[in-house]
Amino acid sequence: MALSEDLKAIEAQVVEGVKGVQDMKALEDLRIQVLGKKGQLTALMRMMGKIPAEERPAMGQLANTVRANVETAIKQRKLELGREVLAKKMAAEAADVTLPGRTLSLGTQHLITQIREEIEDIFCGLGYIVADGPYVETTWYNFTALNAPADHPSRSARDSFYVVDNAPEGKEPLVLGDSDVLLRTQTSGMQVHFMEQNKPPIYMICPGTVFRPDTADANHLPQFNQVEGLVVDEGITFGDLKGTLDYFTREIFGKDRATRYRPHFFPFTEPSCEVDVSCGVCHGKGCRFCKNTGWLEILGCGMVDPNVLENCGIDSEKYTGFAFGIGVERVAALRYDLPDLRMLMEGDMRFLRQF
Amino acid sequence: MRVSYEWLKEMVDLPDDPQDLVAEFVRTGTEVEGVEDTGASLKNVVTGHVLEAVPHPDSDHMKVCTVDVGARNTDADGNPVPLQIVCGAPNMRTGLNVAVAMIGAVLPGDFEIKKSKLRGVESCGMCCSGRELGLDNDHSGIMELPEGVEPGQDFAQWAGIGDTVIDCEMTPNRPDCLSMTGVAVEVSAMLDEDTHFDLPKIAEEQGTPTADLVDVRIDDPVLCPRYTARVVRGVKIGPSPDWLAKRVMAAGARAINNVVDVTNHVMFLTGQPLHAFDLGKLTEVDGKRHIVVRAARDGEVLTTLDGQERTLTSENTVISDGDDRAVALAGVMGGLNSEIDENTVDVLLESAAFNSGNISRTSRMLDLMSEASIRYERVVDPNGCASVSDIAAALFESCCGATVCPGMVDAYPAPAAAPKMGFRPDRARLIGGAPIEDDFMASRLERLGCTVVRTSEQSWDVTAPTNRPDLTREIDLIEEVVRLYGEGDIEPTLPAARNHAGGLTPDQQRMRTIGATMRACGLSETSTYCFADPRDLERLGMPDEGKGVPVKIIRPLVADQSEMRRDLIPGLLRAVAFNKDHGVANVHLYEIGRVLYGRPNKSLPKEPTYVAGVLSGRWDDDAWNAKYHKLDFFDAKGVVEQLLATLRITKVKYKPADPEHYGWLQPGRAAEVIAQNQTIGWIGNIHPTSLERFGVSDAVVAFELSVDTLLKLATKQLPYQDVPTLPGVDVDLAIVVDESVTYEMLVQRITSAGGKLLKDVRLFDVYRDPVRVGAGKKSMAFSLTYRADDRTLTSEEVEKAHAKLVTKVMKSTGGEVRS
Repeated sequence: MALSEDLKAIEAQVVEGVKGVQDMKALEDLRIQVLGKKGQLTALMRMMGKIPAEERPAMGQLANTVRANVETAIKQRKLELGREVLAKKMAAEAADVTLPGRTLSLGTQHLITQIREEIEDIFCGLGYIVADGPYVETTWYNFTALNAPADHPSRSARDSFYVVDNAPEGKEPLVLGDSDVLLRTQTSGMQVHFMEQNKPPIYMICPGTVFRPDTADANHLPQFNQVEGLVVDEGITFGDLKGTLDYFTREIFGKDRATRYRPHFFPFTEPSCEVDVSCGVCHGKGCRFCKNTGWLEILGCGMVDPNVLENCGIDSEKYTGFAFGIGVERVAALRYDLPDLRMLMEGDMRFLRQF
Repeated sequence: MRVSYEWLKEMVDLPDDPQDLVAEFVRTGTEVEGVEDTGASLKNVVTGHVLEAVPHPDSDHMKVCTVDVGARNTDADGNPVPLQIVCGAPNMRTGLNVAVAMIGAVLPGDFEIKKSKLRGVESCGMCCSGRELGLDNDHSGIMELPEGVEPGQDFAQWAGIGDTVIDCEMTPNRPDCLSMTGVAVEVSAMLDEDTHFDLPKIAEEQGTPTADLVDVRIDDPVLCPRYTARVVRGVKIGPSPDWLAKRVMAAGARAINNVVDVTNHVMFLTGQPLHAFDLGKLTEVDGKRHIVVRAARDGEVLTTLDGQERTLTSENTVISDGDDRAVALAGVMGGLNSEIDENTVDVLLESAAFNSGNISRTSRMLDLMSEASIRYERVVDPNGCASVSDIAAALFESCCGATVCPGMVDAYPAPAAAPKMGFRPDRARLIGGAPIEDDFMASRLERLGCTVVRTSEQSWDVTAPTNRPDLTREIDLIEEVVRLYGEGDIEPTLPAARNHAGGLTPDQQRMRTIGATMRACGLSETSTYCFADPRDLERLGMPDEGKGVPVKIIRPLVADQSEMRRDLIPGLLRAVAFNKDHGVANVHLYEIGRVLYGRPNKSLPKEPTYVAGVLSGRWDDDAWNAKYHKLDFFDAKGVVEQLLATLRITKVKYKPADPEHYGWLQPGRAAEVIAQNQTIGWIGNIHPTSLERFGVSDAVVAFELSVDTLLKLATKQLPYQDVPTLPGVDVDLAIVVDESVTYEMLVQRITSAGGKLLKDVRLFDVYRDPVRVGAGKKSMAFSLTYRADDRTLTSEEVEKAHAKLVTKVMKSTGGEVRS
């Protein structure tokens, strides 16, 4: 039974042989040597016709088995070799992954813009729209329509930047101040602009730059940012004011912060109050950051004074509302404990890129 | 306003701990600036009993004393141990009760008591004189305390000089709280306690009636609604009694003499400023003093009590005497010419009301603030003048030995009526958003001095006291009710915002997109001042054409911030200079901000918004795996291209900027940005000369675009285009052309010559070489993509189209194919 011996010998030779094969080329050579057109197994298969017919089925079956086993062995080895090659290639490519990546750095957004947009998003989520107003205002919008008396100290040239009025004719005589036109000292004037142009329901915030004659130092800037808020609708209560500002405070400072409402006085709201948030450093116990009070003042607010509503042609019996003003730099300073507000205006890349 | 706890306690019942009152102040809207224990400065000063005083072995006059200080000094087991103190006072003797400053005490004048040795004998403290304790001027010996004083007590507490002063910041609408009686009323409403005032009363009026000695004329009742004058005679000027001096000092004033202290005390008590004239110094005409309240004359001169000569204008109000001579600056400060001095015998006492705005302006104009002007600025109740004058007269009687002339002269042309208003409890509950009970509202309003008549369930009639100018409308009463109820106790709710939709408008979203794109391109946002130096534009070399006139600040803080900016670039260049000066070489900044263009003959300027950027240095310092080039014109242009693409602005052109109009940019490195025939802005290298003027030595490339125009041209969407499914054929073509042929021209020619099959034109190289390309020429290499939408192109088709393109382009540009 020479043929069957030969077949088995080839099988044994290949199954053993593949183990020693170390590269794809040698494996392919082996395959051709056994299975190729002139290969050993192919040659034996050709001899199949020459064996007696009665032996042929058994021999055929054996031949097929051997062929399958040979093919499997080679394929198996090929997979193994493939894995080895890949492993080698990958080993060669291994890098120090602690090396810095390759990228073009994105620019950063100014801290004040970030906070302003954060505030905008909080109030947009509550259904507010965002309005915008002029930097240069008349005293009517900045003071008078907001119920500030003609001799209110905030109108003095010490507290406001007045600008040259290029059309001063026919204006009311001034009680305080240098002109009828000034750089807005507060965004509150937008309450009036907005109410003149829109009817209730009003849910509006107005972020914007304001100006006051404070010499720039660590805690003051002559130019800073506020976000004014105004709600006028039927049945608006002081509770609504509180609910809104509580929500705002927690969104901006964190869920664990408490608020405190201290009655205060502003000409354009009544009742008015100042809102404190519990100190994030000591959580109300008192520390250097909160000057041992446990609280940090963050904003002023109140129910819109009926005079202001009437000045804007809104029925103050039918509608009530609330307004608030948030100092954006104040929020920034509280969040980051900034040592000097002037850094916000210097454009120092090392400062800007931190945020 | 400094509120003495001990004084306030006499008028209204208070909690034991002043901190509890402070909390109530804060809760109801009185800001507390600070709390001060006045006795605290005498810490470690205790009562002591001298057990024994024996002569010092080495001194004639000193004694070595053993002083019992009770439990203030103990041994390790806590047993009281007397102190050994060396004392040189002549009145020191055994059995005396004394004030002992123990080790650690700090006496007035920052005199700290330390353990010491006096001629070899240890001394553990000091027995004090009145002067050493800052109590009086007695330094003849140590202070002798009465017999039976328990040793070891806190001296300040024992002496009753311990007090707590709460420094309150009163809001401008509450002039009533600039007085102790006002604060007491406020506290009574806050704590729901009764007030108990015990105000001094005149014992006996005698002599010539005031009306026979004085007359009063008010020129303009607007300037002075009420003026009362009283005369007290025979005052004996001297130091005030202790209680009076203490009160005045607790309120933060200096004790001066009994007459001045009485006027100050009554002002702190009632909030009504008083002025005492030396009657003898007022000119007498026809046997009377003639008080006139009138506007000052322009240029009129008055020397005020502080010794300053003041030149007045008709905006100020003065009190003048029979000679028409100004003797006081009304409501602000008295005149030196009628000042009370040690020789004063008769006093004319003024208790008046002046116009708040007028006093406020005068005070600001003269830069002169006084306790009186602070109160007049915030409105003094004219209805209180007469009764306050009586209180002061009573004190002159009791503290200055004066006799009070009968009656007063009272000029009060138009008595102020108490304001009446309706009040709806339901309205208060609605605005407060809280279930505040009717009885609470009524009782608290009454505690504040209002008269409440509950005419019906729905509406009450309320009369407010005239010393509360802030209570004239229903809403004013609602505020009182809400703040006394406690804003902290109101349930927070969120409004429903029915029938209202919020969110950002498309333009607002695009504004954010502009910023986001800048950042994606590597620029960081900065913020610069909206103020400008008037020389900024000139320094930059930028014409102000189209930028209106400057908005000028009337009183700028500094000269280089005296107008409003008309361009963003100067501020950004300053930021570049700041960075370079601080060793930051790579600067990439942008700002989105307003500029202000003033308009002749218009009050308000235009306020357009621009986005501008500055790039200098490299994107970053070289890294182990990346090298960065010096930023140039095309980096800035890339940012602008990216921005316009993000905003989907089409038909964009970049036109070389004419140096005539763009003097601040480097010629040949500057372009106008145009889209749909509208100029959006410019890109360019800042001119080296301009840079130098801003202190920048490194090259800066910048751009500035009108945000308003960007928003106008931006589109929400562009039409969809099929994604190619069939393969295209790429052919490279390098063309040598004259330098004068621009990229834009070449692309235009290529595109028009390429026909329908040419789908993409991409420049991948520009090459100059005088030998290989030729002088004055450049080689521009393009990659062209040919593709048909409906079939795969054959190579013959591509060759045919390309050959046609080459011929046409060469002919129209005079170029040659570079092989």
